[in-house]
Amino acid sequence: MNFLERITGSDMNREMKSFELRVKNLPADYQAAWKKINQNIWVHGDFSGRNLMPILESVLELLEVTAADGQPIEEVLGDDIQGFTSAITGHSGAKTYRDRWRYQLNRNVAKKLGGLK
Amino acid sequence: MNIKKMIEEKKNWRAHVSRVKALPQDYQVVYKEMQKYFFKVGPVELHKGTGLLTDIVSFFEEGAAEGKNVLEVTGTDVAAFCDALIEDSKTYAELYQDSIRQK
Amino acid sequence: MGNFREMMKGVLEGCVLEIISHGETYGYEITQKLRELGFHDVVEGTVYTITMRLEKNNLVNIEKKPSTMGPPRKFYTLNPAGEEHLKIFWDKWDFVSSKLDKLKNK
Repeated sequence: MNFLERITGSDMNREMKSFELRVKNLPADYQAAWKKINQNIWVHGDFSGRNLMPILESVLELLEVTAADGQPIEEVLGDDIQGFTSAITGHSGAKTYRDRWRYQLNRNVAKKLGGLK
Repeated sequence: MNIKKMIEEKKNWRAHVSRVKALPQDYQVVYKEMQKYFFKVGPVELHKGTGLLTDIVSFFEEGAAEGKNVLEVTGTDVAAFCDALIEDSKTYAELYQDSIRQK
Repeated sequence: MGNFREMMKGVLEGCVLEIISHGETYGYEITQKLRELGFHDVVEGTVYTITMRLEKNNLVNIEKKPSTMGPPRKFYTLNPAGEEHLKIFWDKWDFVSSKLDKLKNK
């Protein structure tokens, strides 16, 4: 990244563009969820935005692996996308969400392993 | 990210996915749930070094080779196992919050 | 029970360091040894989280070697920092346990 890019954030734009390309390969309801998350996440449109990029990348990875498994989007994100977005950015309610994810993880494991037998 | 790096990453990711697919069913199930959890929590370890996920696959391959079932190696509380793996790792959410506070 | 778990974490880390100090070993063998010692709740995952921490804190040397069956294994030996860490662990342990003995037998 050169100095000019650091000032203008054009490296960020480029990264966003590469994300958007990946999003195009997702099912429609996944794409809608991605859009909604982006609407909710960009509250600070300044330098701190750079720190949102790895968070968005993790979300994208989540969407990609779950879409590949054919999971319904509601099962992946829950029905409250705004709450989910606020949790992944560490805003209010993040701790409650983390507990919920923990619980879901163990419940899914128990359920799916049970189904194997 | 330049093109070369993207291709490299894509290749690595494919290799990673095929290693996951080669695991016994029960390991795959647990791996996938763990992966989802990590993508939500977002520990910086995810994108560092050889990577948290690659290391877990190696660990699971060893367990499978020993003929153990997956919960024997992770323990029944898989979430606790995940948390122990990232306990001294910052999350992207924390870094983001730090950057907002700094202003 | 939360505090008890925290305490056990430190103790187990010391045990793992001690086992590695006896000579080159790998995760599954360490787990086996802890179980034989009577830590029946210890699973491979427990040891894995500990060796990962040791690795991150640069207390061990790692060598990947092929195994007869299955994937290559990571073998651990202590480096000088690890040996120092182990020594501190035992010093602290001796201190705490001598005080506790005193308290209990008063």
